Amino acid sequence: MVGFYLISVAIGLGMIVIGAALGIGKFAAAAADGIARQPAAADKITAAVNLPLFLLEGVAILAEVFTLLVLLLGPKG
Amino acid sequence: MLAQEQAQAVAAEAHKGFDAGETIIEHVSNSGLDHPLFHLPRVLGIDFSVTKHVLMLWLVAAFVFVVVTWTVRRYLGQDRRIPSGFMNALESVVEFVRDSIVLPNVGKKWVNTWTPLLLTFFIFILCANAIGLIPVFDTLAVLDHFVFRTGENSFVKQLLHGGTTATANFNVTAALAMITFGAIIVAGSKAHGFIKHWKNLVPHGLAWPIYILLIPIEIMGMFVRPFALTMRLAANMTGGHIAILSILSFVFLFTELFGRAAAGVGVGLAVSVPLSVGISFLEIIVVLVQAYVFTLLTAVFIGMAIHVHH
Repeated sequence: MVGFYLISVAIGLGMIVIGAALGIGKFAAAAADGIARQPAAADKITAAVNLPLFLLEGVAILAEVFTLLVLLLGPKG
Repeated sequence: MLAQEQAQAVAAEAHKGFDAGETIIEHVSNSGLDHPLFHLPRVLGIDFSVTKHVLMLWLVAAFVFVVVTWTVRRYLGQDRRIPSGFMNALESVVEFVRDSIVLPNVGKKWVNTWTPLLLTFFIFILCANAIGLIPVFDTLAVLDHFVFRTGENSFVKQLLHGGTTATANFNVTAALAMITFGAIIVAGSKAHGFIKHWKNLVPHGLAWPIYILLIPIEIMGMFVRPFALTMRLAANMTGGHIAILSILSFVFLFTELFGRAAAGVGVGLAVSVPLSVGISFLEIIVVLVQAYVFTLLTAVFIGMAIHVHH
């Protein structure tokens, strides 16, 4: 059973990375697109993208912390 | 006889092998309360003894205080007020925090009220993060092993337990986030009055059934924001160190796997050292970005309490 439990932690970590990567990829693509259309607005676009990017990163980090907690507090053996 | 027993103990220790997980946790977590650096009395059932992370907090606070005060005093004592040397760097940091973090979020009216707090956050977190990347205590350990050769229970040996990054401890970041939590309430109360601040949490003029849903959500959001700040900073600081240490522990794992030191050294030279150098560069960016993010999010939350637009 311990093996299954480790696999669940590994799958969880992988899914977190997939989600965070999709999110950050969309942000970066949209920001690059916007800056390419309107180079003058680059500062404003960067400022607008920053905050949601960090919120997204925070959610991913939270999920990773909880996965690691499952790993550390789970059954030993 | 004693030497023989000691040799047997060492052999048993060596036979137990290298436990990567335990070693890594030992290097990122706080040193234990059973072996504190300085003994302090218990107050109200809380042990106030100084552990490694508390010592690092004190060192960082003293460092920031001395360096910043000394630089500014020297600048103020000059005949001609032209910033030179480190004062230039300090001024650019202050201007960056004021003009691109506080001003856009808090607004012109309150910028001078909240810049000192956010500047303190930025510089303190930056220094506490950065000191974790400087191998002060690892150098001390090498010197102790080959040069000083202090005893088993000496103060130097005690210093070597535990991690160096104080902000990798969830208690430290929770304390910092508590200050943010208080600052949000103070900012709202100063701008709108104490009662009005709590009323501002929910938009007014809605049908009453919506408030049953909205008020618990807003109260939860009030606590979730500092909680997310806590987790983000501590987890980012811990994560990078764990990555570096687990890549470096390949050296010992491969040595054990093949039973010879050459395998470990080969893996170390080919994989571990280049990879951990790369991650260390990434860590420098993370150190800067996390100090910036903590300050920025605090500024955003304070701004949200001041400029209520529903």
